[in-house]
Amino acid sequence: MPDSEAGRLSFKLVYYGPAQSGKTTNLLRLHDQLAPEMIGEIMTLETQDDRTLFFDLLPLGFRAPSGLLIKFRLFTVPGQVAHDGTRKAVLSRADGVVFVADSARTQETNNAESFQTLAANCSRVGLDFEHLPLVVQFNKQDLPDAVPEQEIRDRWSAAPWPLHFASALHGVGVRETFADLLRATWRCHAESCELASKHGLDEAGFVAGALGGG
Amino acid sequence: MEAGFDREWRIDELLDAATLGRTMDALTALAGGELAVLGADGGALWGRAGEDMARRPLVLELEPVGQLAGRGVAAERLAGAAALLQQLMRVQVRYKMASSLHLEAVAEDYESLRREHLKLQESEARYKQLSAQLEVRVKAQVALLEERQQMLYEAEKLASVGQLAAGVAHEVNNPLGFLRSNLSTFRHYLTQFAELKKRLAEGDAAWQALDLDFVLTDGEELLDECIKGGDRIARIIGELKSFSHVDHSTEEYYDLNECLRHAANVIDGQLPAGVELRLELLPLPGLVCLPGHLNQVFLNLMRNAGQAIADARRPGVVRVSSEADDDWITIRIHDDGVGMTPEQRSKAFEPFYTTRPVGSGAGLGLSSARNIVLAHSGRIELDSRPDAGTTVSLFFPVPRK
Ligand SMILES: Nc1nc2c(ncn2[C@@H]2O[C@H](COP(=O)(O)OP(=O)(O)O)[C@@H](O)[C@H]2O)c(=O)[nH]1
Ligand SMILES: [Mg+2]
Repeated sequence: MPDSEAGRLSFKLVYYGPAQSGKTTNLLRLHDQLAPEMIGEIMTLETQDDRTLFFDLLPLGFRAPSGLLIKFRLFTVPGQVAHDGTRKAVLSRADGVVFVADSARTQETNNAESFQTLAANCSRVGLDFEHLPLVVQFNKQDLPDAVPEQEIRDRWSAAPWPLHFASALHGVGVRETFADLLRATWRCHAESCELASKHGLDEAGFVAGALGGG
Repeated sequence: MEAGFDREWRIDELLDAATLGRTMDALTALAGGELAVLGADGGALWGRAGEDMARRPLVLELEPVGQLAGRGVAAERLAGAAALLQQLMRVQVRYKMASSLHLEAVAEDYESLRREHLKLQESEARYKQLSAQLEVRVKAQVALLEERQQMLYEAEKLASVGQLAAGVAHEVNNPLGFLRSNLSTFRHYLTQFAELKKRLAEGDAAWQALDLDFVLTDGEELLDECIKGGDRIARIIGELKSFSHVDHSTEEYYDLNECLRHAANVIDGQLPAGVELRLELLPLPGLVCLPGHLNQVFLNLMRNAGQAIADARRPGVVRVSSEADDDWITIRIHDDGVGMTPEQRSKAFEPFYTTRPVGSGAGLGLSSARNIVLAHSGRIELDSRPDAGTTVSLFFPVPRK
């Protein structure tokens, strides 16, 4: 459930995936590409070797026609296996998840393992994986050994989640991924949060408010 | 629910009184005027706020979480002071988030460990249960095996009792047969004496005519044979008695030489012609044993030995020897009879194996002998060569003092 208090509705959106798949890069590019009414600094808690130790946090938001502040807090989880406890804690209370996979062929098992921990950890922290707003992004499509889009689509054809192909380093597909997550999030929470009925936010308005620049 | 690391932090959580005290004194000196820090609700956290003061928002993420108010402070200095304070708050929030995330993660890790531990405990319990089941099953199997073994032993004993009965019947029948025929002949002889009584007047002629000289000597012989036959039957019955001891089997402290002598006494008169039984017994320590069972073993081994010599169709010796050292009592029963082929030898310990027909008095097989010896923690060895003879060696451990 989004966190609501005194004129503010806050969505926690988590970028999940194996180490080094480009989660932090997604946040960095979003910070550059989005132009919502409000956007904060990226807060990074990382070690010296540039691997995310705890998490990254990008806050952004806009005001609904009702005056309600719609706030998004984008988190990344640490990818390293050793940080499973941290990953779970960051995943706790998530309202939506982007799974960032690494398209390099050599990373296929890492992706699969990480996806399994996502499903497992969701149930551990009390999230309903079946109904969780989830978008899957295959990042690093620019790599020469990237698994081609068609092959991935074939393999994931039975999965219910939207697939995105990105090159976060070059800013490609990052916005679209985020937009899809916003749509899924709106659909999941619109009713319980009275987004359309009370705050004048339909799906398009919700997405446009968060992306900005419209 | 406990608030997570990812909650919205309040300004008074980030800037406690001590931090504010140290920071604001320095900031005030830098700003060169009066400063106050206000919370989200407008209340003063540090200094005294006045309506007339200029204000700068303090933003953590998106919205102001408080304000810095100043009086008599240049606008750019106030902005600079607010930026510094904001910077301090961000450092604080990073620290706070990181440390409470760490606590959550540790709690989560602990939770995982606890789950792992539970799983381990469960699997250990399962394993224990399994091994208990296994033990029960092994015990049942062992019991079954023991029961089968016992049944086999009983069956073999029955068979050997049958053999013995058949043998006894045969051996008793034989003397009984000539006892009866001798007696009926003797009865006929008596009628001849009755005839003599009628012809006493004829005198010596009647004696001669009735051929009573022959009747007299032959009658004596017939009766001698009858007495011998009776003795033989008595001996056979005596042997049967030694078997009757087998079943009330209680362990006794016993000298195995006694068993050997007893068996030798029983067998002696029954050995085939041309077989000599020789005992070479050295003193033995006492042994806790079932004497009835061992009697039977020795008796049968001696009988087998005698039979092996008879089968060789030549005179021979059954040599029974005993000796002991500190560890073992050794008993050997040796014959110089037919011996066994390697094939016979390899089968010798199989239950029911015998080379002899029923009724030949073979008694229990070597398999039962071995069972009985094993039951005494001993062992049995067989050494045999065709035409040279057989030695059966029995070893019993000497009880430790
Ligand atoms: N070639 C390529 N490299 C990328 C892409 N996205 C991220 N990277 C690189 O992958 C590495 C890990 O990225 P980062 O965002 O820190 O990964 P994170 O561990 O998931 O946060 C960095 O060196 C990035 O520059 C991409 O789309 N293409
Ligand atoms: Mg990272």
